[in-house]
Amino acid sequence: MRESKRMITIGIIVSLVFVIIGCTYLSLSQETLDKVAEEFGLSESSLWSPPLPDYELPGLEGNIFANIAIGIFSILMILAFTFAIGNVLKARK
Amino acid sequence: MHIPDGFLDLSISVIMYIAVLPFWIFSLRGMKKVLTDKQVPLMATLTAMFFAAQMMNYPIIGGTTAHLLGGPILAITLGPYAGLISMTIILFIQALFFGDGGIITFGANVWNMGVIGVFIPYLVFLLFMRIMKNEKGILIGAFVGAFIGDVLAAIFAGLELGLSTLNFPYSVQIAVTAMGIHHSIIGVGEGIVTAMILSILLKKRPDLLQLKKMAPIWLPSIDLKRS
Repeated sequence: MRESKRMITIGIIVSLVFVIIGCTYLSLSQETLDKVAEEFGLSESSLWSPPLPDYELPGLEGNIFANIAIGIFSILMILAFTFAIGNVLKARK
Repeated sequence: MHIPDGFLDLSISVIMYIAVLPFWIFSLRGMKKVLTDKQVPLMATLTAMFFAAQMMNYPIIGGTTAHLLGGPILAITLGPYAGLISMTIILFIQALFFGDGGIITFGANVWNMGVIGVFIPYLVFLLFMRIMKNEKGILIGAFVGAFIGDVLAAIFAGLELGLSTLNFPYSVQIAVTAMGIHHSIIGVGEGIVTAMILSILLKKRPDLLQLKKMAPIWLPSIDLKRS
């Protein structure tokens, strides 16, 4: 239990570092897929409007602190969600 | 590598959903057989970590960027069933909240990064373990598996994209080549990260790895101590 808590704490810290780097130094995204699709003349057309498009808060686009906050919130949400799913689907003794 | 809505023909998107469905069913059933209490926190931690890792875009060639996928380490540490479910959670949150990958193309994205990106590294990893039967084999298998998994996932994405634009001459060839070459670079990075994390786990928490369940027949003969 203690070891698990330690592992989760380390995981959250590493994830936070990734989010901060991802929102600052390595934030520019120009994927090969987009470039190839552009060459084919394909364009994005979604039926679904995501609440936080491109990991940004509408009205606060380009705000690094808002982006980091979104990243932190997402990490905690995924951690909790996966924990719940894992507990439901784990092997029973 | 997240394919947005509009990039694939509807028929391709439907086929990919159908292709992924049995893997989801087997994985949900499989998790109930092999996922231990101890692995649940590891699954949650790695899922969150690789969601965050996918936010980092590394410059590669031709002004393009790429990011780590995370499928290989999820597969090797948790097994392919929990690995696929973890990748599905990441891709679902990305599509639903951030528009990173489409809803209609969700099946294709899960196929590329979840099925190919998880099961192929896992199989290559097992093959290397079977041949080398020592820790060096585990780490080399993890590296090679991650590399092949990433490149194959990219090739599948290129294939789906190319098949969706049949009016464009040589579209499949162009898409597959571009995706494969570019992602071979990130594949090397994925391989290094996978081997590094595995090396740390083998040293600090070997109890978390379900290696015996992955290969119950021959594993007892493997010396997991440093070779």
